[in-house]
Amino acid sequence: MTGLGDRILGLGLLVLAVAYGWVAQQWPEPFGGAETVGPETFPTILSVVLVVGSLYLMVKPDPDAQWPVGKSALELVVSLVVLVAYALLLEPLGFVIATTMAVGTLSWRMGANPKPAFMTGLLSAIVVFVLFNYGLSLSLPAGLLEVQ
Amino acid sequence: METIGYLMEGFAVALTLNNLMYALFGAFVGTLIGCLPGLGPANGVAILIPLAFTLGLPPETAMILLTSVYAGAMYGGRISSILLNIPGDEPAMMTCLDGYPMARNGRAADALAISAVASFAGGLIGTIGLILLAPVLARFALSFGPAEYFALFLLAFATLGGITGKNPMKTVIAAALGIMISTVGIDISTGTQRYTFGVLELYEGIDFILAIVGLFAISELLFFVEHRMGSGRDKMSVGKLSLSFKEIVSTIPTQIRGGVLGFISGVLPGAGASLGSFISYTLEKQVIGKKGKFGEGDIRGVVAPEAGNNGASSGALVPMLTLGVPGSGTTAVLLAMLISLNITPGPLMFTQNADIVWGVIAALLIGNLLLLGPEMEKNLAHAMVLSDGEWSILWGSPLAMGLWIFASLGLALPYLVGPILRRRMRAAIKETPVSD
Repeated sequence: MTGLGDRILGLGLLVLAVAYGWVAQQWPEPFGGAETVGPETFPTILSVVLVVGSLYLMVKPDPDAQWPVGKSALELVVSLVVLVAYALLLEPLGFVIATTMAVGTLSWRMGANPKPAFMTGLLSAIVVFVLFNYGLSLSLPAGLLEVQ
Repeated sequence: METIGYLMEGFAVALTLNNLMYALFGAFVGTLIGCLPGLGPANGVAILIPLAFTLGLPPETAMILLTSVYAGAMYGGRISSILLNIPGDEPAMMTCLDGYPMARNGRAADALAISAVASFAGGLIGTIGLILLAPVLARFALSFGPAEYFALFLLAFATLGGITGKNPMKTVIAAALGIMISTVGIDISTGTQRYTFGVLELYEGIDFILAIVGLFAISELLFFVEHRMGSGRDKMSVGKLSLSFKEIVSTIPTQIRGGVLGFISGVLPGAGASLGSFISYTLEKQVIGKKGKFGEGDIRGVVAPEAGNNGASSGALVPMLTLGVPGSGTTAVLLAMLISLNITPGPLMFTQNADIVWGVIAALLIGNLLLLGPEMEKNLAHAMVLSDGEWSILWGSPLAMGLWIFASLGLALPYLVGPILRRRMRAAIKETPVSD
């Protein structure tokens, strides 16, 4: 079956659209009575648009895009994992450690040698941290490096 | 000419030392970003938005910074196109067609120089167009009511297809998803919590800029990882500058055609700079016909798309500033910036935030000039060599003479007319009641 990717995407979007629209119908009527345009009107329109769009996608999908296979697919997964891990570890580990690891890993995976890659990560992390904390007085989490 | 008056006022805003420095900084960083393969103006501006916020810049300065980055990135895109055959962004693609062959023929320096001149010409033409067209459009748009605006936004979403290309239905879906994200948070008119799931952080909604920066940065990262190619490229020697003044003059018609066409395509919502450089190049090819050597390093093949895309980048600001509808990806980011500064772009901005609008427009002109600086020096040196050190060559020809007169006028006018105009304007503002 051609266009499998689009059909799966369409199905996922259909579920999302229905859920989104259904949630909108559950809101309590706002104080002061119902009006023509309530909080649910716009989301309802959107959900209808998305339902139509996702159905169209399932009925008339584009030919499958060339999905990356093997090594480059793995690289993509690694990048995504790094990004998610970065978001989760930012507070517990602190900005400098988390950023060093994230930037280092990504630069390494993009083809730099590991050592310069992690040095780049460390340097950029420190520069940004100092700039933000002292230059702009926007505190980034220090995490493990916090001085009590 | 009230437009000129406003523009002078804009120069007064843009020419303060502080703003000038940010403009210079923005143009420099923008050029750097533009040079990097894969990073275009939209990403550049998106990346620098947090900086503008954290520095706590006033709105007009922030806009000036970002507009300069925009202009700089458009300008920098040509460098990697010419030297490496890797376009920094989509509009720079057309420059590769003749720029890279020129570089291979050992004329890289020439290609860089002429493209700088062409960028400047295109940017200038586009900015002039912006100055002329924007107030007219803004006045027209003042009569718009909410219904017209809703239709306009619908139109804008419809024309988004022009940016994203192949399957319009996917564009509709993407647009719907985007608007869905924007509905998270407390409803402005009724106070109902929408899609917050009781999470406190979601009450205020999802920040527009956060979403944009994240989307641009992450998509760029993934794209880069997927298309990473470790292959080495031929080293390119820049070579000596052998561009003659005559050659530059001979491309002036090309520059004007490119700039005007680029501007027009920039104004059309959704078309943007890519279309600008594309049709400028195509038209030029048609006009010159078989006489040219397009694709093999014809100098006009570099001039046309460069003038086109810089003209278009100014043109794209027209619908953004006057109607609040972005004409391209980058202007969409700029629009987001304005909104988060609590300024609603659109016709009212021309009356309520006139200093910002005209400051930005003036900054665009200045940004173009700043970028031209190094090239100007080079040309000066070049002209001196040609004339055996005879300074008079600089104002020898009627054309140069005319340019000089304009240049001096441009320099002197803000100082002479500015204070008078400002006084007049203040009086005028007092007379007309501000209607909301």
